[in-house]
Amino acid sequence: MTLTLPEAGPRMTALARHNVVLMLREPGPMISRLVQPLVLITLMRPLYVAALARDGVQAGTVQVVTGMLVMFSLLSLSVVGTGILTERSWRTWDRLRTTQAGALELLGAKAIPAFGMLVVLEAEVIGFGVLAFGLDVRDPALLVLAVVSWALALLGMGTALGAVLRSQSELNVAYDIGGIVFSALGGALIPQAELPGWSRAIAPGSPGYWAMAALRSALRGQASATLRDAAVLTAVAAAAGAVAAWRMSRGQPRSRLL
Amino acid sequence: MGTVLTAEGLVKTYRGRRALDEFSLSAVAGEIVGLVGRNGAGKSTFVEVVSGLVRPEAGRVRVCGVDALDRRQAARALMGICPQETALYPAATVAEHLRLFGALAGLRGAALRGAVDDIVERMDLADVAGKPTGLLSGGQRKRTQAATALVSARPLLLLDEPTVGADPATRSRLLAVVAARAAAGAAVVYATHYLPELAELGATVAVASAGRIVARGSLDNLSPDRLNRMLVGAGRTVEDGDDAHAA
Repeated sequence: MTLTLPEAGPRMTALARHNVVLMLREPGPMISRLVQPLVLITLMRPLYVAALARDGVQAGTVQVVTGMLVMFSLLSLSVVGTGILTERSWRTWDRLRTTQAGALELLGAKAIPAFGMLVVLEAEVIGFGVLAFGLDVRDPALLVLAVVSWALALLGMGTALGAVLRSQSELNVAYDIGGIVFSALGGALIPQAELPGWSRAIAPGSPGYWAMAALRSALRGQASATLRDAAVLTAVAAAAGAVAAWRMSRGQPRSRLL
Repeated sequence: MGTVLTAEGLVKTYRGRRALDEFSLSAVAGEIVGLVGRNGAGKSTFVEVVSGLVRPEAGRVRVCGVDALDRRQAARALMGICPQETALYPAATVAEHLRLFGALAGLRGAALRGAVDDIVERMDLADVAGKPTGLLSGGQRKRTQAATALVSARPLLLLDEPTVGADPATRSRLLAVVAARAAAGAAVVYATHYLPELAELGATVAVASAGRIVARGSLDNLSPDRLNRMLVGAGRTVEDGDDAHAA
């Protein structure tokens, strides 16, 4: 028996639809991540505009919009990772593995709604910046590239954490601390130039750094810089995704913590 | 009768302990094989190996001639599997579970709807089909779990202790469906601790102990004393165990 793409397509469609239903049945975390950045952008923009007044109003707007986007999208890893972890704790992942669907189909179908949510979050924040505060987008195509590559990186990281970590509390620690550290190192809270020297030195180790760089370059219409930053983010996505696929295809030993 | 399942010489070790130790078992079309044995005898590990969840260190498994270890996806297309542990999505309804697992088994459109309606009827799930499984009773959840394995007709059914904790109505429904599937030509491997269920199904019995099959035959041909020694050990009898289950 040969399994072909036409066979996998309907299975992935059924799985993706199922995952969308699960996500929409418990929308709280998603709504929270969608609303929080808009509130903080609105309240904190005057502060950033004042702090970066020497560079013009647009500099403050870019900082607060991209910064909140990166921080809250990093915190949204919890939605992605929890989706994987609950499959493990409910034993449904192994149940699905006993079906004809392969590991890549299962992961892909799990990723589709999560990817959609991440793109919606990014698009919402940027759209809010444009409509409410006149955020200047020089090259929309570059911005799409930055948004998609960052969403892929987030998806890979979230899936890998959900596959590797052993409990919801471990996930919470990883997302809370990791999200804040990666955001801060990336310059999402305070502009890179104002950070201490040591943190600037290690900042490229944070995916948040490359996300901030990609978004800023895209907003300024700097093609080569955006392409470089998006390539780094895509590499992060590929590496993390490979870890997740490897781990999830092996099944899960029973954790004492789940 | 064609051979549907052939498992030979399976070896699987966990932390130095052999869960499967040259485990071999076969089943022909229309046959129900009752796989019995004490906890830890290797029943669930065998089901996990055949279903492709666990890779053995040695041995081979063929399902309708397909190598289930090398071509796991192809082999899974030939199996309906009900794992021991209930694995359901609390927020998804019974009908959504059945549609999902039916679709994953390759059913589409009218065939999928028909299969879902049929198994809902057979497993007496009509009243709860629209309810999230998180709101169901234990028996209803057991029925739903079994229904996900039975929603499509497959040449091989692997059912791992599907009636543990189930009420008599659930057990009766499930046994009727299993018997019907076997009558239609499916080979069934039915892992259980409850011999009366196997008698009701007219199953042959394979006794697992310490990771291998130590006896095989009909319930009538295996003496109660011998079964007691193999399944229950000193101090208890099969009847005691069965009574406890019936209670």
